[in-house]
Amino acid sequence: MTKVAYGSTRPRRPRLVPQVAALSAAGALAATLGATAGVASASSVHRSSGRSKVVPLVVYSAQGYDKLATEDFSKKYHIPVQLDDNSTGPLLTQIEASKNNPKWGLLWVDGATAFAGLDTQHLLLRGYEPRVSWNSLGLQALPKDKSYVPTGVTLAGAMAYDAAKVPNPPSSWADLLAAKWKGQIGTNDPSQSGPTYPFVAGMMNDLGGIGAGETFFSDLKANGLVVNPTNGPTLAALASGQINIALVQSSAAVGATFSDKNLKVRYLDPVTILPSAIGIDAKAPKQEQVEAEEFASYVLSPAGQKVMQTGDPTGDSLYYPVLNGIAPRKALPPLTGVKTQNIDPYVWGPKENTINAWFDQSIVQ
Amino acid sequence: MTLAAHESPPARTDLVGGRDDAEPTASGTSSVPGPRGPGREGRRVGSTRRSDLWTLSAEGLARLGRPVLWLSIVALILAPSACFLVLAVSPRLFGQGSAWFTLSYLRAVLTGGTATALVNSVWVSCAAAALGLAVGFPIAWLASRTDLPGRRVVAGAMWFVLLLPSWLPAIGWQRLVQPDGVMYRIGLDLPVVTHLVMGPVGVVLLLGMRCVPFTYLAVTAALAGLGQEFEDAARVHGATRTGAIRLVAPILAPAITSALAIGFAETVSDFGVASTLAYSSHFPLATYQLYADVNGFPPSFSGAAAIGWLLVASVAVPLAFQARALRGRSYAVLSGRTRPVVRRELRPRAKLGAVAFVALFYGAALGVPGFGALSSSLLADFGASFRLTLVNYRLVFASSGLSGPLERSLAYGAITASVTVVGGFVFATMLARKRTATTKILDFLLLAAVALPSVVFAAGYIFAYNLPFLSRMGIDIYQTVTLLVLGYVASSLPTNARVLVGAVSQVQRSLHEAGRAHGAGSVRAWARGVFPVLSRPLTMAWLLTFTGIFLELPISQLLYAPGSPPLSVAIQDNLGNYHFGTGMAQAVVAVLFALVAVGVVLGGYRLLAPKGWRRIGGGAHG
Repeated sequence: MTKVAYGSTRPRRPRLVPQVAALSAAGALAATLGATAGVASASSVHRSSGRSKVVPLVVYSAQGYDKLATEDFSKKYHIPVQLDDNSTGPLLTQIEASKNNPKWGLLWVDGATAFAGLDTQHLLLRGYEPRVSWNSLGLQALPKDKSYVPTGVTLAGAMAYDAAKVPNPPSSWADLLAAKWKGQIGTNDPSQSGPTYPFVAGMMNDLGGIGAGETFFSDLKANGLVVNPTNGPTLAALASGQINIALVQSSAAVGATFSDKNLKVRYLDPVTILPSAIGIDAKAPKQEQVEAEEFASYVLSPAGQKVMQTGDPTGDSLYYPVLNGIAPRKALPPLTGVKTQNIDPYVWGPKENTINAWFDQSIVQ
Repeated sequence: MTLAAHESPPARTDLVGGRDDAEPTASGTSSVPGPRGPGREGRRVGSTRRSDLWTLSAEGLARLGRPVLWLSIVALILAPSACFLVLAVSPRLFGQGSAWFTLSYLRAVLTGGTATALVNSVWVSCAAAALGLAVGFPIAWLASRTDLPGRRVVAGAMWFVLLLPSWLPAIGWQRLVQPDGVMYRIGLDLPVVTHLVMGPVGVVLLLGMRCVPFTYLAVTAALAGLGQEFEDAARVHGATRTGAIRLVAPILAPAITSALAIGFAETVSDFGVASTLAYSSHFPLATYQLYADVNGFPPSFSGAAAIGWLLVASVAVPLAFQARALRGRSYAVLSGRTRPVVRRELRPRAKLGAVAFVALFYGAALGVPGFGALSSSLLADFGASFRLTLVNYRLVFASSGLSGPLERSLAYGAITASVTVVGGFVFATMLARKRTATTKILDFLLLAAVALPSVVFAAGYIFAYNLPFLSRMGIDIYQTVTLLVLGYVASSLPTNARVLVGAVSQVQRSLHEAGRAHGAGSVRAWARGVFPVLSRPLTMAWLLTFTGIFLELPISQLLYAPGSPPLSVAIQDNLGNYHFGTGMAQAVVAVLFALVAVGVVLGGYRLLAPKGWRRIGGGAHG
């Protein structure tokens, strides 16, 4: 059943009033419809041997493969999952709005800064780390207090370009400011595109601070930078020829090469890593926390990694694994020789709103 | 029981409600005979008792009516909105900051970029509402009162306009006129057009087209109740055709001012255009700032609430206009003696002009966005070429995840519309009565609720209905379908009531009283006397809500029960996960399904409603 069905926890009604009764009846009917249509229901709750009675695990996720992953997990672990599959923004809004009485169990989205922000507010369970063999990307992304678990890495600010029109693409960030690229470069608005903030913050981090970063983006703007809301419109602008170089998330850039064979992807040094991660609600019932830990372990198991790499073949599956022994998909450009950097999410997370506001005021407008 | 029925007050408190300043009835009296009036002597006792029971229950409902209405408004609209808006001055109340009381957020929105965005929102909304009226009124008139060719298509196509989420036309127009867009690719090098559309003019144009269906619905509903007798009287006294229209148009003032008010409020709370065309045109609107505050991390609910306060305050503009326009006048023109209207025959040149005008509107409102959506769904390579493919549609139909969200959204839309149309009718009845302090407050609250962006409602519902003490009491409805549907109802009710005001204010009390005079109980008199003439506006209001909820996104995103995503969330999931083409194909399929649903309802009304209902509600012959 849904976590709370109307019929079982009826609010106290002081007296019968027709409109309220009508609304309640409609609500109850709707609840029934919803419950019967849901992924997990009361009838699917099983008692797993050797464990306390399982409770539904509420998963908030923005990953393209989350439906397949949660279904596979439920089947293997006999734990019912209620999936809130949404964009990152609404998921974080829900968590913040309900933080006095949280209803989620596990959060699975891209971007360490969001997790650092939640951790700072003591909303994440600390100290859990699955027993796995991390590779160098995984070790870079792992937080010291173990408040979240990296599950993969994409790169913020990957350069996608039309090889037919740009045979000799820029080879450094400074090259982008050359007059020959005037009006040909596009990127996303960090206020609307979650993965773009780490790119902007990464540039500031690499250049030595916020001021230097602002100068860089102001110079880019002076060179005709085109800003679109998110990856999709920026890649559409690249495909249509409005721009010839797009700075977007690596998974989106590589995914676009499947449908437009002229597109190529290149990483400029240094490129900022953008981990996808799992965080567990610090206020969730103990049993749900245990189940969430089991889910994180499953995701980092070979079975879980297989689902992640195949569940969204032209989107989120295009990530770099964080585990030794798991190879990235062949479509991904190798990271050999590419300098990566990991921005400290506890330093750059709190600055996100201020920097995004500056970007909107100074670069977008 | 009989005594109670005798002692109960006459129809003043019935649910439909005569106007407090009701005119004398057809029989020449202003009071209503009791249920034991003439003609009832010969009836069987059982029948009398049943009738008395009806009357009693009706009176009981009537007595309960007002407190129940206010309770509903408080629970559904006021409490959630207040829980959100209070954060502007007291963020600590819901753990969103350290200050128990601060004015810093309100001060902040009155300066800098947010202040500019607010000013933009207000003037754009005024202009869009006026444009909606300027376009919607003639179309409504032409479709209802003339022999306009294809007039039956006009109404159906208007539902299509209403069905489209506002971001869809914006994307369509953008694809057409943006640098290197379709216009330039086919050799039309018109930077002036690009400059015009990708700016304030384009924003007003798009939002104005969004207002047209609201004007159309309000005005056609009012025209349906406006009999031929007024125009005939004017013509008999020597008025020209234009003069007759000038005489009749003011009778439609409630519908016109309602349309303007809804247009303003819907526009000022719109996010679809604000986040697409207005954003790309570097023309900031307040809703974009509000959503940016809510969707930023960490979200600034207090900043968003401060903007919300100013959006609520902005509805004073249309309300002041409405109050000035309607002060002290009565618009009850629909009675049992209302005469069917005869359609005017347009002269050939006028007919050509009218067809061109209507076609131009639909081309802009449907043709361009249709092109945008279809092209996006048929191009597999982000638009790099004009190579068309059905791969996105194949993916949509091959996906096992389509049917569940579709069925859910159909069910949610139908349930919400059914609940809302009842509540909307009751509120509209109250608003149509003589203006009192109560109705003025109700009017303001409903319009302010329309002006609040949906995300405010959704976040407010989380704050209000997910309080820890409620959970301790066992009231735990956050993340259930119950709260989602309540949120849908709350967001739809104000618009619904507004749309119905025009039609309800035309109903003369004599319709109901005639039924009572002939021995019917209050409910029966309403069902037999008033409901038939309002059946068409009520059907339209039902469809208005259904279509609005079917693809509703902000409330769905924040309140849906995990595991049961509505259609809009599923579409957004694709659009947000790089599957832009698949998402657009899903949107196209969804709109087609909704259109079929609209067709079924309209066809069902045509087939099932008695001819008399359609004659009175249909407005015109021919």
